[in-house]
Amino acid sequence: MAPTAVDRKRKAVTRDVPESSDVESEAEFGDGLLEGILSQSEDSEDESDENEESDQEDEEDLDELEALDSDEILSEDGEDEAELNGGLVKSNGTKRPQTDLVPGQAQAEDDEEDKPNYRVEVDANGGERYVYEEIDPVYDSDDSDAPVTTNTIGNIPLTFYDSYPHIGYDINGKKIMRPAKGEALDALLDSIDIPKGWTGLTDPATGKPLNLSQDELEILRRIQTNEMPEEGYDPYPATVEYFTGIEEVMPLSAAPEPKRRFLPSKHEAKRVMKLVRAIREGRILPYKPPEGREEEEEEIHYDIWADEQPRPDHVMNIPAPKAPPPGYDLSYNPPPEYLPSKSEKQAWEDIDPEDREREYLPTTYDALRKVPAYDKFVKERFERSLDLYLAPRVRKNRLNIDPASLLPKLPKPEELKPFPTVCSTLFRGHEGRVRSLAIDPSGNCLASGGDDGTVRVWELLTGKQLWSAKIGDDEAVNVVRWRPGRDAVILSAAAGEDIYLIVPSVPDVNPKMEAASKELLDTGFGYATNATQALTANGQKKEPVAKWTRPSSRLQDEGVLIKITVRTTVKVISWHRRGDFFSTVSPTAQRSAVAIHTLSKHLTQIPFRRLPGIPQTVQFHPSRPLFFVATQRTIRSYDLQKQELVKIIQPGARWISSFDIHPGGDNLIVGSYDRRLLWHDLDLSTRPYKTMRFHSKAIRAVKYHKGGFPLFADASDDGSLQIFHGKVVSDMMENATIVPVKVLKGHKVKSALGVMDIDWHPREPWCVSAGADGTCRLWM
Amino acid sequence: MDTEMADTSALSSHYGQVQVHFTTNSPDIELPEGKRQLLVPTNVRRYGLSQILNSESMLDTPAPIPFDFLINGTFLRTTLEEYLTANGLSSETTLSLQYVRSLIPPLFEASFEHDDWVSCVDVLSSSSLAGTWGANVNVPVVLGQERILSGSYDGLLRLWNKSGQAIATSSSSSAGGHTASIKSAKFISPTQIASSSLDRTIRIWKYSEADDHFSGELKPVLELYGHLGGIDSIDVHGPSNRILSASTDGSIGLWTTAKNSAPAADEALISGPNAKRRKLTTSTNTPQRGPLSLISSHTAPVSAAIFNPLDSTVAYSASQDHTVRTMAPAEFGTFEVRELARKMKETAWLERLKETTGRGRRNQSVRDGTCRVWDLRSSRTGTKDEGNGVVGEAVYVIERESQKGKKRPVGGEGIKVYGVAWDKEVGIVSASEDKMVQINRGRGVTRPNDP
Repeated sequence: MAPTAVDRKRKAVTRDVPESSDVESEAEFGDGLLEGILSQSEDSEDESDENEESDQEDEEDLDELEALDSDEILSEDGEDEAELNGGLVKSNGTKRPQTDLVPGQAQAEDDEEDKPNYRVEVDANGGERYVYEEIDPVYDSDDSDAPVTTNTIGNIPLTFYDSYPHIGYDINGKKIMRPAKGEALDALLDSIDIPKGWTGLTDPATGKPLNLSQDELEILRRIQTNEMPEEGYDPYPATVEYFTGIEEVMPLSAAPEPKRRFLPSKHEAKRVMKLVRAIREGRILPYKPPEGREEEEEEIHYDIWADEQPRPDHVMNIPAPKAPPPGYDLSYNPPPEYLPSKSEKQAWEDIDPEDREREYLPTTYDALRKVPAYDKFVKERFERSLDLYLAPRVRKNRLNIDPASLLPKLPKPEELKPFPTVCSTLFRGHEGRVRSLAIDPSGNCLASGGDDGTVRVWELLTGKQLWSAKIGDDEAVNVVRWRPGRDAVILSAAAGEDIYLIVPSVPDVNPKMEAASKELLDTGFGYATNATQALTANGQKKEPVAKWTRPSSRLQDEGVLIKITVRTTVKVISWHRRGDFFSTVSPTAQRSAVAIHTLSKHLTQIPFRRLPGIPQTVQFHPSRPLFFVATQRTIRSYDLQKQELVKIIQPGARWISSFDIHPGGDNLIVGSYDRRLLWHDLDLSTRPYKTMRFHSKAIRAVKYHKGGFPLFADASDDGSLQIFHGKVVSDMMENATIVPVKVLKGHKVKSALGVMDIDWHPREPWCVSAGADGTCRLWM
Repeated sequence: MDTEMADTSALSSHYGQVQVHFTTNSPDIELPEGKRQLLVPTNVRRYGLSQILNSESMLDTPAPIPFDFLINGTFLRTTLEEYLTANGLSSETTLSLQYVRSLIPPLFEASFEHDDWVSCVDVLSSSSLAGTWGANVNVPVVLGQERILSGSYDGLLRLWNKSGQAIATSSSSSAGGHTASIKSAKFISPTQIASSSLDRTIRIWKYSEADDHFSGELKPVLELYGHLGGIDSIDVHGPSNRILSASTDGSIGLWTTAKNSAPAADEALISGPNAKRRKLTTSTNTPQRGPLSLISSHTAPVSAAIFNPLDSTVAYSASQDHTVRTMAPAEFGTFEVRELARKMKETAWLERLKETTGRGRRNQSVRDGTCRVWDLRSSRTGTKDEGNGVVGEAVYVIERESQKGKKRPVGGEGIKVYGVAWDKEVGIVSASEDKMVQINRGRGVTRPNDP
């Protein structure tokens, strides 16, 4: 800042000087000179100071630090000035007159003033006595260097004397006559040589022509050309290295370096620590650039007139600015242009009262007496009271997250159509519960079995019973399953310990297929008789695990062709996809709980000698030679060819009721009696990929759609079915999307049992359910 | 006219007016030439327009006739103004309004009780197809001697007169009748009946009636074997003696009723492995024949097959595989199969495809236990979800009489309607799971001059 200011000043000077040489311009000019002088003298003084104080360097530094400590931060210029002033005071005791013109003169004055003009003597009383020198009363002894004549008119412009022949008065009261001037004088002057240093200007103090010396003119020239006014000024003098690392041959001082030069200064350390402490405590903060205007605007403004009381007029009291007077729109009968239009009115009414720009709507009344009472008076009072009464003392931080945004994005059920939505057919006829049902591979018939010991076949779409047979005399039919494949129509049903293989003689069955089915069932008899029976250790014939026989002729007439008797009650039948093997589960049997039957050989095998728990249900893998056995808590998959355990799946359910394998073979759903439906990805983990708990009662059955629709369903004891959309993508990186799409309600809950079994139509997105209320339902 | 115009002007202070041009196809209710153009307010609906037409200045009918109005082939169901805005028309345009007599809801007439579910009905009258075919071969149906044929799930065909007396019942399975539920039955001529059953057969019956018209006899004349599954639907064409059948095995068959021209039947199908049972059933010697042609064009059970009533060389079939196919049975070897509706709405597969192209109205039986009267002209454009076609809306819904006043059961249990027939003389005849054949008759529906 400082140099630019000086520059500006100098420029101003160069402009002013040639135009007018009045007092002000001279004063400026003098200032310029002074600066140069001062700078020089400062330099010399500094040097001398440093010479003197070189020994006290440490102390001085410490002083500086102290100055810092007291938060007084000085710029270099300021420091220089301060030091300069001090120097001046030290050297002179008085300030140098600012009007000194020439350095040499000033120096002379300095010398004179240095010598006191008195002597101190001891008087008769012994006191000090100042004896001044005698003044020699010569002509100009009193004021030797004062101008000879001085105008005493004071600080008034000379123009006041324009109309007089004199221009003022000297010290003796005599008129100072105006010097000759004008044409006559001009003529005279023209004839005279222009004296050296003539400028044509008038000295305002004397009224005489102002003469400037050659030196002065040179200074002016330099100032005009923006140079240093002093002659021979070297702005970049070569440094004189008095105190450097270079060891002088002839040092200024022969004294050895003091010890303190080599020791860390304790005082300094103390001051540094003081600073450090200040920084740590936060008293000294790092420099921050001044913040912008925007933030200033955001400053909190306090309403100092919020609770203004009327006060007597006083200088220190600034009254609140007056509120603007009410406008036309507040009038009870405003001009029509202030009245809102219909749409504006509507818009105002639509806005929430809190968001309205103004609280009123301009309304017009013919006369003031027609203005009604304020309609919100009671409401406002009431709300005010309510506010006071319900004023919350504690501010609650409410979590402002939309709960909907936290849910994962699922497609809408409408987009996932088709799936079954309504019950379209009821199958009535069973007495007691319907325990199991299955749709035949062609999709025309439905087979069901129930507590009344009958197996029934229905026409799927109409609900007409086509065929019925009572296979369990006093035992319920626990399970019915069709043999997969379109080449034969074979129904398997289990009642008690007996498994029946049936070719139901429904009227519309193809006779060729019927014949093929019967042949398929009968071929095994030859194998069974030819097979050598295993012997026990005693040499006696071993009791076979199952007996394949013909049922009674009554049943044979109805199409029940084979009866397989095992040791305990069969609960589950599961067919292999080729239709030659099927597996049964009789949970109460100890070792022979799981049996695999070969249809073509009438052979029954027990694949597992020991099982780690009570088996619940079994499934064949839809494409690979794997066999899944579900015990109460785990599902184990075995490789049938290698006869080894492949995997143990742990759904985490307490009691598995049923499971089904996705037709793709990589996914599995598990339903459990503890209300859970679990989706397993066999490739990922033994733990479930997804657990769903939407039912209020146990889940009895789960089933995938096997005909190409990405659907699966579960049936629960709460009387409802739930349909899910479960899309499995071939991309390994993507997870299956599971969306619940529909809850189908309709079955009545009887003695805490709801829906017992479900099955899907082989082609259509229809499903059937067997209820404990004795009905089956078709949902489409 | 004056009052009409006064009304009009009074109304027009709030609503615009539009120029309409009344036309009709019925000459007896035609307007005189000068009165056909009229300015009507745009806020009137069908009722208002009907009132205007019935007023003294217009038709001057002794008793008011309710009219329906067709604009551009569809019924006007909104005000004229809404129609104009919906179609982006200005009120300056002249609307051409075709007026027809309104349909009056059909009223219940009679119910005929059966022993089991009734699967199908057909009507023989002078105006029915079989009746016209009969008239061509000099066996006309006398007016008042209309017959109603019903097929039941107990495997029996029954013939009724209009007053509900059973005239004839087909023989039981032991005497050459069907061994399983009848699915479909049709008159071929006044003396010949075809029926199809779940037992995979089509049977042709000869029907003879006593002179007093109160008793008759149904005698099986032919058994047709060929399908591997139950036959859900048949259609007949009398003049060419052709039968078209649709089976659950996914195939469509073409048969002839003539014993001599029909090929022999597949022996394996007649006497299957359970010959013991079969022997019991076929004690009478009815000739057995096979199909003229059998084609498996559908991948799923075929639910219906019909001849085009105007052109017997074209047939249509509907299937559970969500397709409707067109074919030309004349050259049955080279089927011209076209997929009509690949993207038919999944759940709305056609259960019964009935086309009465002459009247342009369809009558469809549906699973929820109602019979609905549809009108092809009452339709709206389907949404994308419905396959972008034209979706019809039922004009009338006929409820089952047996279910009157009760809540509609879940899944149409006990009242599913399996068959329906519509005849000018008899009315709308429907067969249902409630073991009844129900006749409903609409007043304005069968008016001879009705378009």
